[in-house]
Amino acid sequence: MNWSNVKLIFLREFRDQLRDRRTLFMIAVLPLLLYPLMGMSFFQITQFMREQAIRVLVIGAPESSELPPLIETNRFAANLFTGPKNADLLQLTVRPPEAEGKQDSVEQARSDMLSGNYEVVVYFPPNFAQQFARFRQSLIQTPGGQPQPGGKAPDVTISSVEVYPNLAKDASKAAYRRVSDVLDRWREAIGRQNLEDSHVPASAAKPFEIDTLDVAEEGQHKAALWSKVLPFVLLIWALTGAFYPAIDLCAGEKERGTLETLLSSPAERIEIVWGKLLTIMLFSMATAILNLASMAITGSFVLSQLPNLGPPPGLAIVWLLVALVPVSALFSALCLALAAFARSTKEGQYYLMPLMLITMPLTMLPMAPGVELNLGNSLIPITGVVLLLRSMLEGNYVAALPYIPLVVAVTLCCCWLAIRWATNQFNTESVLFRESERWGVGLWVKHLLRDREATPNFAEAMFCGLLILMIKFFLGFAVRAPEGVDDFIVLASVTQLVVVLTPALFMTIMLTRSPVQTLLLRRPPWFAPIAAVLLAVALHPTVNLLQSVIMRVYPLNEQLAEALHRMESGFSDNLWPMLLVVAVLPAICEELAFRGFILSGFRRLGHKWTAIVLSSIFFGATHAIFQQSLVALLVGVVIGFLAIQSGSLLPGVLFHIVHNSMALIVQQVTPALAEDQHWLHWLMRDATGDGPLYRWPVVVCSLLASAVILVWFHKLPYDRTPEESLQEAIEHQSPHWLPG
Amino acid sequence: MIHVRQLTKYYPDLQRGKIFALDGVSFDALPGQIYGLLGPNGAGKTTVLRILSTVLRPSGGTASVNGCDVVTQPSLVRHQIGFMSANTAVYDRMTAWEMVEYFGRLYGIAAEPLRQRMEDLFTRLQMNEIRDVLGAKMSTGMKQKVSIARAIVHDPPVLIFDEATSGLDVLVARALLRTVAELRDNGKCIVFSTHIMREAEKLCDQIAIMHRGHILAEGTLDELRQRHEERDLEELFFRLIHSHDETHELEASRP
Repeated sequence: MNWSNVKLIFLREFRDQLRDRRTLFMIAVLPLLLYPLMGMSFFQITQFMREQAIRVLVIGAPESSELPPLIETNRFAANLFTGPKNADLLQLTVRPPEAEGKQDSVEQARSDMLSGNYEVVVYFPPNFAQQFARFRQSLIQTPGGQPQPGGKAPDVTISSVEVYPNLAKDASKAAYRRVSDVLDRWREAIGRQNLEDSHVPASAAKPFEIDTLDVAEEGQHKAALWSKVLPFVLLIWALTGAFYPAIDLCAGEKERGTLETLLSSPAERIEIVWGKLLTIMLFSMATAILNLASMAITGSFVLSQLPNLGPPPGLAIVWLLVALVPVSALFSALCLALAAFARSTKEGQYYLMPLMLITMPLTMLPMAPGVELNLGNSLIPITGVVLLLRSMLEGNYVAALPYIPLVVAVTLCCCWLAIRWATNQFNTESVLFRESERWGVGLWVKHLLRDREATPNFAEAMFCGLLILMIKFFLGFAVRAPEGVDDFIVLASVTQLVVVLTPALFMTIMLTRSPVQTLLLRRPPWFAPIAAVLLAVALHPTVNLLQSVIMRVYPLNEQLAEALHRMESGFSDNLWPMLLVVAVLPAICEELAFRGFILSGFRRLGHKWTAIVLSSIFFGATHAIFQQSLVALLVGVVIGFLAIQSGSLLPGVLFHIVHNSMALIVQQVTPALAEDQHWLHWLMRDATGDGPLYRWPVVVCSLLASAVILVWFHKLPYDRTPEESLQEAIEHQSPHWLPG
Repeated sequence: MIHVRQLTKYYPDLQRGKIFALDGVSFDALPGQIYGLLGPNGAGKTTVLRILSTVLRPSGGTASVNGCDVVTQPSLVRHQIGFMSANTAVYDRMTAWEMVEYFGRLYGIAAEPLRQRMEDLFTRLQMNEIRDVLGAKMSTGMKQKVSIARAIVHDPPVLIFDEATSGLDVLVARALLRTVAELRDNGKCIVFSTHIMREAEKLCDQIAIMHRGHILAEGTLDELRQRHEERDLEELFFRLIHSHDETHELEASRP
């Protein structure tokens, strides 16, 4: 790739976008106008809302000198409110009870409410005051007002006061809350008065106060609020800012006919993609930053009016800007790939919605209460970034630290895949010169079966991988977790045969002409199987160490760990069947699926390592526990490499069998065996809790030996697919050769 | 200079399986010659030229430009060709000067030699008055000039013109044909596709008549006239196409 070409393309696209009024409006003008306008309307609306008085109908308000005052000249008494002005907010209409009785009053109240005259109706039973008077009488029976010691509570009940809100309406709900508060305070006042009259100190009913002392340091509330709002705003604008330039730069160019001009120029596809990507990224970041800045300026005016909330802490801005780079890169690459696929700007606009539907939940998920940064969440693209960002904003650096590499790795991986996808779009003629054609499910299925090729294509491999994941997901719901070893054996076998093997074999037979070539059912170089077995043995100490490091950094949750431990304790008694189920069966099924059908399909892209990594991601994802998936992903890369270099599935199968067997045996057998076999102590040490670990010199030797074997595999002359040969030829032409 | 051997290109079609846009096309074009591809719409002219410009990849056969293979060395090929077609538009939001300069830089020409070359080109093609006009404001003729300047800014040995005169008025088309002829006289190897008989007659040193992905006849104008005993190129063209269609239908109707 020639970076000066990338720079040229970037500068041109950048200038082109700056000359486009629509883009400029979306990116620069809209944010500058939007927030001041929003702020203005916010004040308008709050003013309007403050002036809105709540209308309350009070039926049969009790009038008695014995009761503390409830209503004073068409208002609730001022001492029943926290602030003196709040009394004005409730506008009362006081009405005597209907002569016919309660039923009629209530009916009348309901119809008044429905016609929107009142937000809340309060109904006092007609003889409330009399009942209360009698209650007081019975309370103060004894001369001198002393209550009888150990005496019973007065025998008089007072009918309830009834409040009628319409809880389906927000205004009524708010009014109900205010009226309830007023009535509560009134009742409390009556209670105090009663105690006083009975010569009981008021503290008898409220012997102590409950003081709430928030330990959150000053600024933490602010940080907590900002850490939820800011990432969301940032992401939404980063996406919007990437989308419109992307559409204009790809689909727009197709429409205007300039794409073919560019494609026939010496610029490589990858240079075009990078040039456009950097432009889109710049606009995405600029949009997000401008929006944040404009929001901050307007916000600082609005917030100065609100108590308890100041501007976000300065460090937060730094973290936001750091996080903006990978997020913009990811969104830009995604938008670029989608826009390259679109035939016209109009078609491009259609893709905004699906893109939003995918990214919005990922951005919203972290806002849900209780969603914290953990291993599972940190692996979700975008969600992981938002959660990490939130931890940083809240100042939980130590807790966030272990997840930084994961989030960065996941984000980079997604970016890389999206860029590859975009580049691939620019290399695909059917995308560049797409024409509408008649499409029907029947026609398409017929085409799949009729025009099948020797090996599956990329889309078929992708579909197979997703199908396996989907079946596994639904099977997880249908089947309960295994309880004993027998359960486990059955479930593991079914999973392998039904979930992994069946889709891959079925698709191989239906969609390819050469199952032998697709599933790599060929004889490897004679030494390759032996080398694979040696590699599995040599690599085991390293994998073992890696696994324990992963377990320590991202510990299993206790429930899961206990369930696993319970199950594993039964393994050593059934070693042979377990080896069959844990080592042999998966080795055959998973290899046929992931290194057979799926890897063959991905290799049609023409990039060996992309194919290996993609197939390993699917391989990792089929493992139930995240911690296992991480190890499986790396092991998958090794096996994929063996499969391609040897041109056969066999070395991979053998590697897989030996690798899984050793993991099982070391976990199960070694602790018991080490008692009487002292030579084992030379190899292993018992790391408490995490199972046995190899000694450091053994790990170093293991790494060296593995490297030697991997180099040997690397030197094997492997069979390239036509696409791989082509890519190699293209990469080996010298791009700077000029005529003359 | 350009060698095309048994070039095929097919597209998968849901209904009919493979649709052949090119079916075994072979020809050679030499420096100092204009090689004309003459054919009706859908004959496969654009497909051949898109393959030569490496925008499309052939399904079979080989094509090389100045010794570089279009499939395995596309970048080298693109350095040696200037490609201009009805589908290669100019940028709306760039001026004529910026556009030509941009492509010149993409071809790796240093700033100063590029400026001199462009001054020369702009004078030769009489483009100085549209130097600072944005693409969106240009007339079709102006755009065509910019496209030519863009295609020849790096002085490539091979030039490919695909229906370059379509949509142009007589005056502009005539000027364009004159420029193409000049380029030929400067020793360039030119492939020129058209469906207009007059252009082929006037301009092309070699003519290949294309129809349905095949070359039906090839040679100089005189050779074609002699071989088919027909003075009028238009008549000759219709006869060839008609007889090809007839045999094609006959084959298709056989059980």
